[in-house]
Amino acid sequence: MEKLLEILRDIQPDIDYETCEDLIDGHLLDSLSIIAMIADLEDAFDVTIPAVEIVPENFNSAARMYAMLTRLQEED
Amino acid sequence: MSFALISAAGSKLTSCFSAEYLFVFLPVFLFAYSIVPDRWKKYVLITASCLFYCLVSGKLIVYLLLTAALMHWFGIWLDRLQTQMKDRLSLAEKEERKAIKNNFAAKKRSVITLAAMLQLGTLLTLKYTGFFLTNINTLLSALHSTAQFEIPSFLIPVGLSFFSLQAVSYLLDVYRGVIPADDNLPRLLLFLGFFPQIVEGPICRYRQTADALWNPQPIRYDNLTHGLTRIAWGVMKKIVVADRLDPLVKKVFTDYASFDGGVIALAAVFYTVQLYMDFSGAMDVVIGTAQIIGVALPENFKRPFFSKTISEFWTRWHITLGAWFRDYVFYPVTTAAPMKKLTTRARKKLGNHYGPLLAGGIALFCVWLGNGVWHGVGWHFIFFGLYHFALIYSGNLLSPLTKRAGSLLHIDPERIAFRWLRILRTTVLVVIGELFFRANGLWAGLAMFKAIFTRFSLPALNAELLSGLGVDWQDLLIVGVTVGIVFTVSVIQEKGVRVCDALYRKPTVIRWGTLYALLLFIIVFGAYGNGYTPVDPLYAQY
Repeated sequence: MEKLLEILRDIQPDIDYETCEDLIDGHLLDSLSIIAMIADLEDAFDVTIPAVEIVPENFNSAARMYAMLTRLQEED
Repeated sequence: MSFALISAAGSKLTSCFSAEYLFVFLPVFLFAYSIVPDRWKKYVLITASCLFYCLVSGKLIVYLLLTAALMHWFGIWLDRLQTQMKDRLSLAEKEERKAIKNNFAAKKRSVITLAAMLQLGTLLTLKYTGFFLTNINTLLSALHSTAQFEIPSFLIPVGLSFFSLQAVSYLLDVYRGVIPADDNLPRLLLFLGFFPQIVEGPICRYRQTADALWNPQPIRYDNLTHGLTRIAWGVMKKIVVADRLDPLVKKVFTDYASFDGGVIALAAVFYTVQLYMDFSGAMDVVIGTAQIIGVALPENFKRPFFSKTISEFWTRWHITLGAWFRDYVFYPVTTAAPMKKLTTRARKKLGNHYGPLLAGGIALFCVWLGNGVWHGVGWHFIFFGLYHFALIYSGNLLSPLTKRAGSLLHIDPERIAFRWLRILRTTVLVVIGELFFRANGLWAGLAMFKAIFTRFSLPALNAELLSGLGVDWQDLLIVGVTVGIVFTVSVIQEKGVRVCDALYRKPTVIRWGTLYALLLFIIVFGAYGNGYTPVDPLYAQY
């Protein structure tokens, strides 16, 4: 989780990722932020994030992103 | 090439706004639907959908049937490949798994490419062959060649652009493993051809509507009243405002050379109002009809003229089209391996804001080129798409500068006056885009745009001018009052109030009084009957 928070803070430092639950729905992260973080997340967690996973439900909070990454690791 | 709605011989049913639909087709359908046992309701739906399509588009229903068959066949093919891959993986050693996955991924890619090419190829061939050959002929003439291609004439089936995107989204979702393939051909046909939405959308995903349509609910009192109110609201927007403005818009956009720049600017504003009232009104009728039978269709509009930026506008206007391009073009392009490499490299050199803008820009360009091409045939549609690309991309490029300027000047972006200024700016940019969208070609659009600055005098809107435009003061007053009503309801909705729900919590007198007032308003002020030509829904041609 710490690795994920580090990547997120590098993209947008002024967000409290540990409590925020509406990163996408609240327009705190936009499509450019998502594009920026995808490659970092893939490298850090050794997974491929397909376009189909890029939905608000998977990116609205750090916890949800972590759950998606763990799931993708298990599926791989 | 013909883009007009093609009614079957003898049928006057041309859209969900025609009297034949509202007073004959819909009541007969609802009666049949309500009297059959629940397990038969889906068959009433599918029969009504096929009948509606035949009445609107005649024998061209063959395109709809072929599309459903294509979806069915390719979906099952993709599903079988997925099952075979899982079987092979369950027996494979760990080191073999990657090769198996790659092998099946390549096979699935070939199948989905073939399916998408067939579906989108049909759409592009029918819509763009004439445009493409006309441009080739122009080029040949410019090169002093005597060779010329004959321009073929195709009849375009109604709703082709809409149901093609639904079909492609279904196949891509099966390909990605989001949904299993459906082996029930009639269910796929109903998902594709559900009669209220076939002409103008909304563009639905399989997961959103297929099951709900196949298991429709008995008609409940609250769904019936809410649905009918929504239909009446949509009819008001279309018949009272959009159709009343049609003569003026048609006149100015056809004879633009003989009008003052001020009148052209005014016509662009009126066209934007007409298009919004027409298209969002159609969505009210479509969503209201589905609501009566308990099917929730996705919303296509969310008060777009309250948008502060063009990006936001496109998340509120034709929402399902924007979502389609986001999910099936924007993210797949930006997450393709070369794009990810580009983003990683660019971020190191340009930082977190400008770095992703390179890959994002390429994806955005594809989205807006596709959006322009989807909307219609002609350079002005391509211009319309690329105009929005330029606005959104430059907005992203400049956003760090505008934020910095705002903080230096101590401007609070949430201040009401500043918000309304941004809304006004966005609206002006939208109206300019719609001017090109409606213009009879790119050169006509450019000439009209130029005239706004070079021939602008905005003469007094006297009675003589208005009668020359096919409207009078009474028309403008009715339009103004109705737009005012829609605006007031929109302001209430922007505050988070669900107006229809709130209305139905009021006492019976207020509830029914409002509905009767709405119907009376349409009957008295609707632009129909003598002196008015029924106007086909504007988006039905796209």
